[in-house]
Amino acid sequence: MTTDTGSTTDGVKDMWRHVRFLFLAFLVLWVVFTVFPLYFMVITAFKTAAETNLTVPTFWPQDWRPGNFAGVFAEKTNFNALLDSFIIATANTALSLFLGSLAGYAFARFPRQAGGENLAFWILSNRMFPPVAILVPMFFLFDNTPWGTDSHLSLIFLYLVFNLPLATWLMMVFFRDAPLEIEEAAYLDGWRPLRAFVKVTLPLVLPGMVSVAMLCWIFAWNEYLFANLFVGSAVKTYTIVIPTFTHGSQTLWNLQMAFSLIAMIPPVTLFILLRRYMVRGLSLGVVKG
Amino acid sequence: MANVSLQKVNKIYGSGPGSVHAVQDLDLDIADGEFVALLGPSGCGKTSTLRMIVGLETITSGHIFFDERDMSRLEPQERNVAMAFETYALYPNFTVEENLAFPLEVRGVDSDVRRKKTEEIAEILQITDILNAFPPELSGGQQQRISLGRALIRDPSVFILDEVMSHLDAHLKFRMLFDLKRLHRELKRTMVYVTHDQVEALALADRVAVMSNAKMQQVGDRNTLYNRPANVFVADFIGEPPTNFFTACVATEDNETRLLVDDSDLVLVPDQSTAGKLRQSGHDKVTAGIRPQNLGLSETPYSLKAEIDINEYLGERSMLTVQNGAATFQSLAPPDMRAGPGEAIQLYYEPSSVMVFDFETEKLIA
Repeated sequence: MTTDTGSTTDGVKDMWRHVRFLFLAFLVLWVVFTVFPLYFMVITAFKTAAETNLTVPTFWPQDWRPGNFAGVFAEKTNFNALLDSFIIATANTALSLFLGSLAGYAFARFPRQAGGENLAFWILSNRMFPPVAILVPMFFLFDNTPWGTDSHLSLIFLYLVFNLPLATWLMMVFFRDAPLEIEEAAYLDGWRPLRAFVKVTLPLVLPGMVSVAMLCWIFAWNEYLFANLFVGSAVKTYTIVIPTFTHGSQTLWNLQMAFSLIAMIPPVTLFILLRRYMVRGLSLGVVKG
Repeated sequence: MANVSLQKVNKIYGSGPGSVHAVQDLDLDIADGEFVALLGPSGCGKTSTLRMIVGLETITSGHIFFDERDMSRLEPQERNVAMAFETYALYPNFTVEENLAFPLEVRGVDSDVRRKKTEEIAEILQITDILNAFPPELSGGQQQRISLGRALIRDPSVFILDEVMSHLDAHLKFRMLFDLKRLHRELKRTMVYVTHDQVEALALADRVAVMSNAKMQQVGDRNTLYNRPANVFVADFIGEPPTNFFTACVATEDNETRLLVDDSDLVLVPDQSTAGKLRQSGHDKVTAGIRPQNLGLSETPYSLKAEIDINEYLGERSMLTVQNGAATFQSLAPPDMRAGPGEAIQLYYEPSSVMVFDFETEKLIA
């Protein structure tokens, strides 16, 4: 009897060892798969233009050229492109967050008056629409606005189409989690609804708001398809500048990668600074008291 | 502090065929400094009533007065009411001290006075050692105290306590009952306590208002509710175990009125005054009630014969479920009662403990 149990537990242990090995093997593969592109991007940014175009690629630069990073700013407008992207992404995020919080609050607290679950879902479904399908109509629509297509405002408003549904839906979920009683307690303690909202409910959904802000900002920062069609002379986003690093028919991969790496710095920094909020915000249901 | 008066208050949720009449023509007067419990089963409209008193819910029709002042259309901020919530509703991002001081801060009380009052209230509720903690770190009992403290710290017209003990364990509940009673005696404030638990309501309140089906059934102190229930619902709801009810015919012979229970050979004899009222009103079919506590083994001239079905031992007493014909009823017997199923038994009662209700309207006749 006892020996039986012993051998069974041994068998179980053996099995777990195998599972663990498989799991680790999978993780290693996963890391290689995800980190390799990044690695290749980094080394390409340091190569010479000639080395990037070799038929057999090198996996370590033969000739280090850190000057590539300064080289991308040889054209002064390239720095402005980062600035333009920043303005558009930040303004759009602020607007998405403001409108999305108001709408999300309405859907969470007054579902019937706000049009119900179906309207809320319809708003979210806008996000699932293939963007390319509305590319041309949107162009003509924005072309008829006073500020035209080639401006900050056009992209700030256009990206609302994608970010506002997400912000509304996520904020709705966060507000639903924030107990109504706490707000009611604040009313009874003497605060008007708007003040109670700002002082009591908003702090509860702050981690959620930070994650929503990150998601919106990163989307607007990285958007290429619409930016490529809409802007280009008065305003340029960094995403449409990257493909312009060419020399005749030759693609300057090293400069493109260097500029991409520079463009990665703001979102990565933001993420590192705000990761505590991100984790709390994305694991829903954090505000239960 | 103020007296509170509800006059013909109605609440209807929604409109058209899907609407719900949650509170119907409710009248209730609460005196200054009185402790009133609003008691009723889930969904009877007591929470709607309370939310209308504090202003979190609009009133469909009717009026609510605090000291002759009509509050019916005022916002909650303007009513000066304090409420402790079932879920405590503490501000999770404020410390205990900030939570307690919050109502004062809103009113612009300066920080020295705030600090003093906070310490005072913390002293009363015995929570001085956790003033710097955050609510989510605390136990249910502690959170409950803070929520009470936040309501007590200012001087409102009325205190509302909404099911504040439903999440506490039995031991803690017992202590909180005691504390609340003491607090009320010390502070002499008007309090409305909402609960579905009759033990809490009867233990705490000066008067208990029993609600059911959106309507006020009866308002009264413990003795009135227990001995003179206004209708079958109150007789059934108040008291544990519930009252035994029988459908019976009224038979009068030689100036003696007796109640013959349907489908059995049980006969209940009401006392003289009840019998008189019965004869006057001319009922021939009634619902008779008698509490299990009033059916015992100590002999009186009046008894019910029955056969034991179940003998449950409940520690300090035994509960007998007995049968006679189609009638099944219960009696509380001493714990050493050993009789088992199938044995015949005589259960004695006093005629004064027989309650008689109208069979149709279920209202108390006598």
